Amino acid sequence: MSTESIRPIAARAGAAAPAEPAAQAQAAASGQPAAPTTPAATESLVLALVGSGGDGVALLGDLVLRMAAQQGLYGIMVQSYGPQIRGGESAAILRLAREEVHYEGEHADVLLCFRVSDLRRFLGSVRVHAGSLMILEASDLAELPAWLGKSEQATYRYPFATIVDGAEVEGDPKNMLGLALLTRALGWSSSLARRALEQKFGKRPAVLQRNLAAFDRAWRAKDVPALPLLQGHGVPLHIESGNEAVARGAIEAGLRFFAGYPITPSSEILETVIDELPPVGGTVVQAEDEIAALGMVLGASFGGVPAMTATSGPGLSLMTEMMGLSSMAEVPAVIVDCQRAGPATGMPSRTEQSDLFHALYAGHGDFPRAVLGVFDSVHARDVMNKAFHIAESYQLPVLVLSDAYIAQRREIRDAPVDNRGKPRRRVWSAEHGPARFKLTGDHPTTPFRVPGTPGGTYLAAGIEHTAEGHPTADTTVHQEMNAKRFRKVAAIAEETKDWYRTLGREGAPRGIIAWGSQHGMLREWVAAHPEYRAFLPEILSPFPVRGLEEWRRGLEWTCVAELSYQGQLHRYLSGLTDMSGVKSIARSGGVPMTLSELEALLNSAGAQ
Amino acid sequence: MVMKAKDYRAQLEPVWCTGCGDYGVLKGLTQAFADLELRPENLGVISGIGCSSRLAGYTRSYSFNSIHGRALPIATGLKLARPELTVVVVGGDGDGFSIGLGHIPHAIRRNVKITYAVLDNGLYGLTKGQASPTTEQDFKRDRGLAGVEERPLNPLLLVLSSGCGFVARSHAGNLPHLRQMFREAMKYPGFAFVHVLAGCVTYQTPSYAEEIYRRCDLLPETYDASNFAHAVEAARGERFALGVLYRRPEGEAPAVLPAALAGEGGVWPPTPEAADLPPGDAG
Repeated sequence: MSTESIRPIAARAGAAAPAEPAAQAQAAASGQPAAPTTPAATESLVLALVGSGGDGVALLGDLVLRMAAQQGLYGIMVQSYGPQIRGGESAAILRLAREEVHYEGEHADVLLCFRVSDLRRFLGSVRVHAGSLMILEASDLAELPAWLGKSEQATYRYPFATIVDGAEVEGDPKNMLGLALLTRALGWSSSLARRALEQKFGKRPAVLQRNLAAFDRAWRAKDVPALPLLQGHGVPLHIESGNEAVARGAIEAGLRFFAGYPITPSSEILETVIDELPPVGGTVVQAEDEIAALGMVLGASFGGVPAMTATSGPGLSLMTEMMGLSSMAEVPAVIVDCQRAGPATGMPSRTEQSDLFHALYAGHGDFPRAVLGVFDSVHARDVMNKAFHIAESYQLPVLVLSDAYIAQRREIRDAPVDNRGKPRRRVWSAEHGPARFKLTGDHPTTPFRVPGTPGGTYLAAGIEHTAEGHPTADTTVHQEMNAKRFRKVAAIAEETKDWYRTLGREGAPRGIIAWGSQHGMLREWVAAHPEYRAFLPEILSPFPVRGLEEWRRGLEWTCVAELSYQGQLHRYLSGLTDMSGVKSIARSGGVPMTLSELEALLNSAGAQ
Repeated sequence: MVMKAKDYRAQLEPVWCTGCGDYGVLKGLTQAFADLELRPENLGVISGIGCSSRLAGYTRSYSFNSIHGRALPIATGLKLARPELTVVVVGGDGDGFSIGLGHIPHAIRRNVKITYAVLDNGLYGLTKGQASPTTEQDFKRDRGLAGVEERPLNPLLLVLSSGCGFVARSHAGNLPHLRQMFREAMKYPGFAFVHVLAGCVTYQTPSYAEEIYRRCDLLPETYDASNFAHAVEAARGERFALGVLYRRPEGEAPAVLPAALAGEGGVWPPTPEAADLPPGDAG
């Protein structure tokens, strides 16, 4: 168990004081940047960048994130797109902070919007507060939607678009003016921005030159506002998405065979292992479907090689029969499920926590498995090591539940250190005796026989089998073999009894039970509300019930907060422990839960 | 130590019916293992579910009797992770051509060195005689099961049109031929397909089994297995050509097949309507 020390983080920055009087400022083709007045310092800033396909919002967000990481700022960037495959509305929300953050906040301190009409798509994701700095297109005087909130600060307008005879034509890239304005407003140096561009376009000199030239022209813009000072620690930090962290954590843990089928929001795991697994001697296959993907994983693992697949809900549904095979034949497998809103196709790019039941229960027959949950991209590397440890040690399927919110956002974190132990499978040799599935001594598992080992040939089977591996329909053997396989669960439960995280002050009277990506938001909730504490399992099955029960002591009011219409975690826990009086504050997924939404849900659930 | 066929047999006794063709296949396969002097610990025999899939457990090897229709992905994962092993997949026509059909073209496209033997008895034996994708339309059964309305698949045209580099057919009753086909298949450096006519002593009449056997012809000694067009011709015949129908010469790209077949009026699966389509439009 790790009780995180609470690092206070300002929920929002103080009002951004414009350096210049509010004005319809214009970028000039020449002239020196106005010297900013000295702004107040802040711990964290939220930037919302909104535009259309081609405006380069994603690139702008990426560059700002790189610049922040370069100077030792932590951060998180969440991207959101319209339904179009390419083009369409696009938003990047960045929160930059002096301490690690896993929640982007809900009110932007800066809104940079290239086209007001594009805001429509991001209802609920983009909001401003009274002190927000608004930077808009000079030629776009459309009214801002009421739900966006009101800033009491003056709006800055710049000619991002190049207009000829009333129509927008291609001109200098809008995002380079955006980059120059943000860099200056943040009080960062132009060389930082130039370096970020060089990093990004180093292999495409023509694109680099075009962007650098546009950036240099934009740098001379006049009347640029100043933001509160946000200074990094000076040591460059590491940027990683949840999916990248899952892939890299798996490789560090010993993954050497990956098979997968493309599916949103997990495809970047496949893409990352394609780049990074072969260089360490591993193999990657894009399978014809998810059934084949897990089949290949089981084949490789049957061959003694640590193997994994990654998918989302629809793929997990297809893998279900193979999960049972993994458990029955006692062949280790790691299965990552980046949950998205379901069922069926659902909302592929939207997050949800509604595959919990599937992960816990899906499949015919009785079979043991383990289910882990990811909190954020930093946690992902730890979780993958634990997943491989459980799979390899206990020879069963391990499901790792991530979700769309974690999977595709990018976070700035400390440089990862690979100091976790390497998971190992207990391997058979002749002295272990002739029966593959016969338990001996206190071991919860029987040694795994790696093909190529002389004298170790055996039949692995999805059909019920005797200790020798021979097919059988003997009901007594079936009972005994179920007991043999389920003995692993008790051993895992003992080993993982502390695999949970608590947040907040010990003895706080109100408790929130949650899991997965709710962690980042809850961390800030309990920091701001000392009457609350939170419990989040790292392992969902076998659930650390004793830890939960101990944590619940002294609570006067408790709820389960989750993104599942049915309240799957609440229902699941009701079968494990006494949940009478514990409220369920559950809703369908889509967008992640925000602090203000949590507050409203807690109030309506009668939190006291 | 010189290994004999029986040295590749596991202790497990087969549950097959007396007279089942699968006994012959087990014998021919283990003889081929001995011929190639393979070490049992370097053998992976993978199967799905069905009468013939039981064969994996009867071999002395690292064998995996998995789930219905999924032997090919499992074998692919094993071979890619452990390329030094010899990997063989055995299964039936229901396992391979019905529930598992989606994996065959992709296993062929990947061309991972696996020998895939389909023991084709033209029905589902384990579930008591239902029609399979290769049940012939005029096949009369002596049990009260529904008739067969669909046209049977032609497995050899299927694998040829997917670009399979080694395609052979044998009969469970011709042991020396089986042994030779398995040996050739396992020596082939890529994905090798062996279609074995196996018959079913329980759900087919003895006269039907005899009729199938009578319809088999060994390919003539002059047959050129490197000629793709000949292989297609042999695979399309009413009679069953036994032997190596196709062995793609080393270094040669797979023929571009569906279009070529359509151009000859021989789209797969062959239907009279499809034959009337203009070239290049296989509908």
